[in-house]
Amino acid sequence: MKAVALTLAAGVALLGAAPSPAPAPARFPAASSSYDGTTRIFVESDAGAQLAGLQIFVGAGLARQTASTAGVAALTAECILRTPVAGVPLRDAVAAGGGSLEYTVDARSTHFYLEGLADRMPALTGLVTLALATPGFSPGAVAAARAQLEARVDDSQSNAIATGVEMFRRSYYAGPAGSPALGSRSSLANLGAAEVAAFFKANYVRGSASLSAVGRLVPELAVAEQNLIGALPEGTLPALSAKAPAIPAESPRIVARRDVGAPIVVVGFAAADPGSADFGAMLVLQSLLSNALERPSTTSLGLRERSVGAFYLYDATPASLIVYVNGNRVDPSLAIHGLGVLAASLAQRRLTPEVLRRYKSVAEGAFLNDTITLADRSYLLGAFGSLGYANDPVNAALTALDAATAADVQRAAKRYLQRSIVALVLPRQASPGN
Amino acid sequence: MSRASAAVLAALLAAVPLSARAGAGDLPDLGPSVSVDKLEAGGTAIVHPMDGAPVAAIELWYRAPSTGFAAKPVSSLARLAAQAVAASKPLVGPGLGSLVNEVGGRLAISVFPDSIEISALVPASAAQRVVRTMTTAYFAPVLTTDGFGAAQQDVVREAALERFNPETLLRDTVFGELFSGGPKHYPPLGDPNAVAAVTETEARAFATRAFRSQNAVLVVSGTVDAGIVKSAASGRPGSEDMNRDEAHAASPLATAAPETLQKAFDLPAGGYGWVGPRIADEREATALDFIADYLFRPEGGVVSRELAQSDPDAFVVGQFITLYDPGVVFVAYAGKRIDAVRAAVDRGLALAHKALSPAAFAVARVAFEYNLLHELQTPTELADNFGWYTVEGNASYAPGAGGRDGAYFKAADSLTPEFVAAVADKYLTPTPAIATLGPQSKPAAK
Repeated sequence: MKAVALTLAAGVALLGAAPSPAPAPARFPAASSSYDGTTRIFVESDAGAQLAGLQIFVGAGLARQTASTAGVAALTAECILRTPVAGVPLRDAVAAGGGSLEYTVDARSTHFYLEGLADRMPALTGLVTLALATPGFSPGAVAAARAQLEARVDDSQSNAIATGVEMFRRSYYAGPAGSPALGSRSSLANLGAAEVAAFFKANYVRGSASLSAVGRLVPELAVAEQNLIGALPEGTLPALSAKAPAIPAESPRIVARRDVGAPIVVVGFAAADPGSADFGAMLVLQSLLSNALERPSTTSLGLRERSVGAFYLYDATPASLIVYVNGNRVDPSLAIHGLGVLAASLAQRRLTPEVLRRYKSVAEGAFLNDTITLADRSYLLGAFGSLGYANDPVNAALTALDAATAADVQRAAKRYLQRSIVALVLPRQASPGN
Repeated sequence: MSRASAAVLAALLAAVPLSARAGAGDLPDLGPSVSVDKLEAGGTAIVHPMDGAPVAAIELWYRAPSTGFAAKPVSSLARLAAQAVAASKPLVGPGLGSLVNEVGGRLAISVFPDSIEISALVPASAAQRVVRTMTTAYFAPVLTTDGFGAAQQDVVREAALERFNPETLLRDTVFGELFSGGPKHYPPLGDPNAVAAVTETEARAFATRAFRSQNAVLVVSGTVDAGIVKSAASGRPGSEDMNRDEAHAASPLATAAPETLQKAFDLPAGGYGWVGPRIADEREATALDFIADYLFRPEGGVVSRELAQSDPDAFVVGQFITLYDPGVVFVAYAGKRIDAVRAAVDRGLALAHKALSPAAFAVARVAFEYNLLHELQTPTELADNFGWYTVEGNASYAPGAGGRDGAYFKAADSLTPEFVAAVADKYLTPTPAIATLGPQSKPAAK
């Protein structure tokens, strides 16, 4: 704990150091976008790549579920991957054709990521189009998909950080957007073919879909993309609520016990949405909270090795910022105290130019390092494109970071870091005599 | 080659187009998009400019035994020495770890039985500074007492965590069985006690001998241009090329039939290991890569798919580890129903001995090529690829070299179902080294 305290002291003390010149801004190749009046398509071409990646966003996110259909978004996506195409499940057909297909469910969307050998991408996109046009939601298919999700739900129970984040989200959103991404065993058990088909029909609509393509993009892919969009029925989903209940001033605490080796604490804050005036400052705060309390190490620490880390979850609206404390590495109560001191300090005093420059640099590096695969690039392109940065989305986000000032960071710290929800994931108590 | 002649050569090469430069002299040909040069300080520089994310992977690779050069092996020596150099504050300028951290990059050090990798992923705008700082640190290594102390703490923590990684435990055990001595017989990272036992004197001596510019392979991949190698530091005056015997420490194969080794662990797990072809036997090595992909590719492999249905908690990995001579086929598995998991692995391995139908083989090969390229899409993956194949002695066979027109993909294109089955017969028929982990197992009883 001494190390954490000393690091914190050093971080706060740096509020008074001297400035130095800012480095040249880093930028991705410029992305373009098109809009046919219904669906937006973002493109970042990279002729040197061997592969292409296509992210397909549909508005079928967690927020479209109801209390009685938690898990239906993931169940629907899982069924689509299992839809027979050319005699085999879609995912296998894509693999046999030189590609891969996966999906992720977040609060706003379900997004499918298709990747493949560049010259085969039009054909692979055609396979996905077939499945979206006639998805397989038979009772047998739904049962098989449910079994797969149940196994993943079981597996996720042993991930203490994911559990803590899930607890925070459930409390923060207080609605469907905060429900577990895959549902739970009990919620999945209540879902059948009818629920899946109804969810698909209501939410897989053209007007709330978007595409983002990166990598080596052959001309035929554009035609295949149009065909894919055309396979979705017409329609537009109503806008989602952009509000969450205010976090109470007394920092609510939620406790759960799991089969984990040491306590994990997740402290969740409200956060600025992409496109807002505070977005760049929020990236700086993420960088500060992630690094100011961590012990120094010559080589970069992995998730298991870190004492403290921060995630900025801007996939949901409103966004949130998570700080986790690893009880295996540091005394959680001391780390939470340090976090509170740091949050208060950031709200009271502006960063010096040197400290601002340093943490903007760290934030930019971390942002870039998380954006190097085709999957990451296509996701961010589409996500930022629909979250307030319609023009060259990823570079616009970097520009927002560049533009953040010390006053912005102080304002964001005052606005977002003074109230939090604390989720504690504790080891299960040993049974008597054990 | 002397430093002077290397400088003359570098000046001459600078006027030649990149595509003609690659392959000149003893430099490998890594395809038209990759430049290969001799560093002014000695050693090899490989630069792969890319479009895409504005980042650069900067790596230094050294061929050196992980257990040191002395007759008595010192576990963890290479790993700790490399960390200590990165942690030591030089007389002038920032330390490597500090610089990478300041620019929001990631610094990693990996150790293998016969090689060491220092790897940074940083914004492209910082690439020149990091090349300069990394080469300054490792071409004329300075190892301070403070740096050594900090490094020892870091590596002890890393080794302690790695003891909970069943794949690492199984791999180390299988290698220890297949090789009776030399670096491959010992765990490259070692356990926390081994790390704590290394002395500063040992680490300094190792660093001085192993980390010479003449022994280095500098790889830079990302949104950079080939001229970035000019940022590399000059070498240590008076140091000489490492001779072949130093770099290629022998790891003799075990002569006795492999035994089954058991170790205590929280989860039931098992592993197999067979000796495979050397890296120079490109077609056979590629065939074993194909088999590993066909059977054990995550989600898509035959065994992986079966286990996803029958034992969703199971974990399986299978790979051909391409090495100078010989390579190693390694399979690891874990799961609550360990007997059922092992049976699925065994059924999959039996399949490898039968030639696939032409149609099934064609599908599997397309998937194999895609999976290869999927794992070669980021600057770090490509730099790792070039570095590994270079220190193992066959750079032009790196899958990233020349893309789908390179030597590796030509070898993949030349595979036939019958040849793949014959390679399985040749290398996977002998009794493997077997390692088992489990809560009920007794400690290793060799």
